[in-house]
Amino acid sequence: MLNYIARRLINMIVLLVAVSFIGFFIIQLPPGTILDVQLQKLRQMGGDVPRDQIKALELRYGINDPFVVKYWKWVQRSAAGDFGTSYLTDQSVGERIWGRLSVSLGLSLFALIFTWLVSIPIGVYSATHRYTTPDYIVTFIQFIGLAIPGFLLALIILIFATRFFNQQVGGINSSEFMDQPMSLAKFMDMVRHLWIAVLVLAFGATAGLTRVMRANLLDVLNMQYIQTARAKGLDEAVVIWKHAVRNAIHPLVMSLGTLLPALVVGETLVAQVLSLPTIGPMYLDALRAEDMYLAGTILVMLSALLLIGNLLADLLLAWVDPRIRLE
Amino acid sequence: MAVDATQLPHTTATQVEDVGQIPQWQLMVRRFRKSKLSVGGMYVLIVMYTIMLFSDFLAPYDHNRLDSNYAWGPPSQIKIVNGQVSTFALKQTLDQVRLQWLYVVDEGHPLPIHFFVQGYEYRFLGIFPSKLHLFGVEDGFQINLLGADKDGKDVLSRLLKGSQISLTLGFVGVVISVIIGSIVGTASGYFGGAIDNMIQRVIELLRSFPDIPLFLSLAAALPQNAPVEVRFFLITMIIAVIGWTGLAREVRGKVMAYRNADYTAASVAAGGSHWHIITRHLIPNSLSHIIVVGTLAIPAAIGSETALSFLGLGILPPAVSWGVMVRDAQTIEAITTYPWMLLPVLVLIITVLSFYLLGDGIRDAVDPYA
Amino acid sequence: MTSQPTTPPTTTDDVVRVEDLKVSFYTQLGVVRALNGVSFNIPRGKVLGIVGESGCGKSITGMSIMQLVASAGKTEGGKILFREFAGGDAVNVLDYERNSPEMRKIRGNNISMIFQEPMSSLNPCYTISDQIEEAIRLHQTEDKVESRQRAIEVLTKVGMPNPARIADSFPHELSGGMRQRAMIAMALSCTPTLLIADEPTTALDVTTEANILDLMRELQSEIGTSIMFITHNMGVVAQMCDEVAVMYLGRVVERATVDDIFYEPRHPYTIALLQSIPRLGRTKGRLASIEGSVPDPYSRVNGCPFHPRCPVAIKGVCDTILPEETIVDAAKGHTVRCHLYS
Ligand SMILES: Nc1ncnc2c1ncn2[C@@H]1O[C@H](COP(=O)(O)OP(=O)(O)OP(=O)(O)O)[C@@H](O)[C@H]1O
Ligand code: SF4
Ligand SMILES: [Mg+2]
Repeated sequence: MLNYIARRLINMIVLLVAVSFIGFFIIQLPPGTILDVQLQKLRQMGGDVPRDQIKALELRYGINDPFVVKYWKWVQRSAAGDFGTSYLTDQSVGERIWGRLSVSLGLSLFALIFTWLVSIPIGVYSATHRYTTPDYIVTFIQFIGLAIPGFLLALIILIFATRFFNQQVGGINSSEFMDQPMSLAKFMDMVRHLWIAVLVLAFGATAGLTRVMRANLLDVLNMQYIQTARAKGLDEAVVIWKHAVRNAIHPLVMSLGTLLPALVVGETLVAQVLSLPTIGPMYLDALRAEDMYLAGTILVMLSALLLIGNLLADLLLAWVDPRIRLE
Repeated sequence: MAVDATQLPHTTATQVEDVGQIPQWQLMVRRFRKSKLSVGGMYVLIVMYTIMLFSDFLAPYDHNRLDSNYAWGPPSQIKIVNGQVSTFALKQTLDQVRLQWLYVVDEGHPLPIHFFVQGYEYRFLGIFPSKLHLFGVEDGFQINLLGADKDGKDVLSRLLKGSQISLTLGFVGVVISVIIGSIVGTASGYFGGAIDNMIQRVIELLRSFPDIPLFLSLAAALPQNAPVEVRFFLITMIIAVIGWTGLAREVRGKVMAYRNADYTAASVAAGGSHWHIITRHLIPNSLSHIIVVGTLAIPAAIGSETALSFLGLGILPPAVSWGVMVRDAQTIEAITTYPWMLLPVLVLIITVLSFYLLGDGIRDAVDPYA
Repeated sequence: MTSQPTTPPTTTDDVVRVEDLKVSFYTQLGVVRALNGVSFNIPRGKVLGIVGESGCGKSITGMSIMQLVASAGKTEGGKILFREFAGGDAVNVLDYERNSPEMRKIRGNNISMIFQEPMSSLNPCYTISDQIEEAIRLHQTEDKVESRQRAIEVLTKVGMPNPARIADSFPHELSGGMRQRAMIAMALSCTPTLLIADEPTTALDVTTEANILDLMRELQSEIGTSIMFITHNMGVVAQMCDEVAVMYLGRVVERATVDDIFYEPRHPYTIALLQSIPRLGRTKGRLASIEGSVPDPYSRVNGCPFHPRCPVAIKGVCDTILPEETIVDAAKGHTVRCHLYS
């Protein structure tokens, strides 16, 4: 077991190195450099930029270094825990990423809990009441959930919320709370801002998971051991919840590990629409501004999150399903 | 001579067989027809793709034709005037307070709608040059059946033109990714050993990337001012490169199972070549699965194109796709005051939903026990 | 289908008496009439074999007694009378709702069942003793220590080596034969009046099959449980059963003692079945060498359902009139459904 985890961790490190190299390569591909973006900014503010200043900036950002050198500098610094200073804001990359990542993780965690709480009972209900009207309704809503891309759903909800509930959405806090310390009022304000995001994030995932749950449960209900359980004289509710759901839940347990990173990654677009201060829009901005240190670091972090999630999923699965042996 | 391998796997009694002597594919068709929603999805898609083929003919205007007289113009009213189907000229005034254009229908100035008129030049099906359009009004005026955007561009024309990219890009991307996935998966599963090992490493690496960020960074690396065909092609390739790994894994699993099946062994015993075994036994056996995975991947790919274009990383103006149009509809004022700007969202949802329903129906029909 | 079947004569007390049972499945592709009026009885303390080709309704009959037929299957007539004690009152099982407390009290307690696939008939997520104790606690005692003790006892009884260790293993850690033993242990854990064994050895290899059959016979004489033994293997019938009911397309076509079935078979189908056994050794294959094949279950055959394949069918009679059940030997309870004997 420990052996297995150790091996997986080593494999993970190898993968991360590869991901960082390839990822960094892709990210620095676009022509133009961060400097062009910066210079444009400076010019807009106050006319011309002297040649020697450009030179100084080029040196500072290592603009003319070959790719491998840039990569190596970045890795060296990252390894030392210093993720560099973002070109964009001159703020420490690490600090900014952590701030945003925690919002992302928090949001995704809520969405995940919502997804589980909703999809398991509905999936079970719809499988045990197959071909009834409620089952058809659930199936239909599931399809809608799968069919509407998250950001479109966010857009639609945004419109409705603005138009019909006159609700200020978008962002994480209303302007009056922006700079205040955390208080109950601020927290409630946050909840009011974030429920849409959680709902939108969870909707697609819930639709998917409900379908999986329904399909699995239907499969499991055809298994011989379900008849065995009934033949013992168990109540149908016990048969379903103790014997069937326990076996049908495996893919959901697996999704526990993978869904969280998927949600964190998946909220990129939703957050963009709802202007949430999460990691996704930050990544996009970094890409647009060709801030390769920031973008590269986020990419590697998300990748690490994904790999850890996969590992956790496998461990969890082995824990619920005695047939699975880790090797 | 060995036994005809295809005859072998039919000896065990199963329920399917009890149903009688109906061939497999007919059973599939029958099962597919049973799910009304999937059949409905199929018809919707047939209609959509047919419209797409005739989109230039159906569109009254070039998708980039500007007309400031029609900025945020509402959908045209249609009435019969003097026995002719007509719309009306619009009077444009500026609301000084809210800074909005206001339009009043000029009932005294009917514009008869002409059919089969000459308009902008296009190539029908990309080959035959033509100027023929289904309908239009007098020059100097505009008919906007579905309203106009902020520059007075006709929304209907843009939706039609946009379908050419939106309905094909995801489709082509998935087809390519399915081809890559099937070939690589088959090779991996069939040959095993070092080849399999190497392929599995590559897949593992690709899957270690978070997909959306990878997608975004690849898209950001695309040349900005390349012609739309080149961008189209590159985005297709991105979709394909990101999408093939899942299918390759599944196909590999299936192929490994079939490789150990009796009839494959029989075929090997009969001296069948690799090529023969792969094309005659392995591919047909995985085909239904591949089709199902493909159909269900298309809507996701369509969504990806939309998302990219929405972010300004996909198809860029002056070209138009539904994603580009959704981008125009981004601001809340735009949508709440000019609801027709939401039409591309609606069309997108219908398309994606239809693909899901179709794919789901095919899956149930092909593989009722999966 | 109006006529009442003549009830089989009974000289002994019956555990179960099935009368004119009809079950149909309503599927997407049509109606499957799985049972078209099945009647038979299981004498107390005896082993009744049910034989017939695949799809003739053997399993559905067993499931009906347990009220475990899939919900697509509708019981459309008949009675299943269950008598727990000799001389006691009989209850019609079909009067109970599937999931009613009365029905659940019978299941696993008075009647239990063993299935064909030992590989999939145990829940992979729970240990063997978890699954056996579940039944014991449901019907016998709520005490955890006692139920555990009983589980080990019954595992010992079915000849498990090292029962305490087996009790704590998961199904996937056991071989097919061991799992079937565990299933038998579970089925016998509440000492049922009737055990329905649905092809309990079909999935096992010959040696294991012999062991399991020996075990069942042994336990049967020890506990006195009546057994309904479903199989399509005539060799197993000869070894296991006291009486036999031969089924064809959802009907019992011949019912007799095991000796009569082998030495004085009457129904042409029974005779064909017996001819299909290879002389040397037993066969595990399906009974495939009867000419023709079973008509597809969606269609209905006029007259005797066997007439398209029957070598001695009487033209004008067999293809129009359904033969009734006739008594050929009242003393031994030998009945047959064939125009040759009416
Ligand atoms: N869930 C179901 N849906 C539809 N038809 C069914 C279902 N279960 C059984 N049947 C049909 O009922 C008939 C009897 O089935 P049953 O399982 O009793 O056969 P059997 O005699 O046990 O055969 P085997 O030897 O293969 O186990 C078959 O024709 C089968 O097709
Ligand atoms: S009734 Fe006729 S067809 Fe049926 S078994 Fe007897 S002889 Fe054969
Ligand atoms: Mg059976």
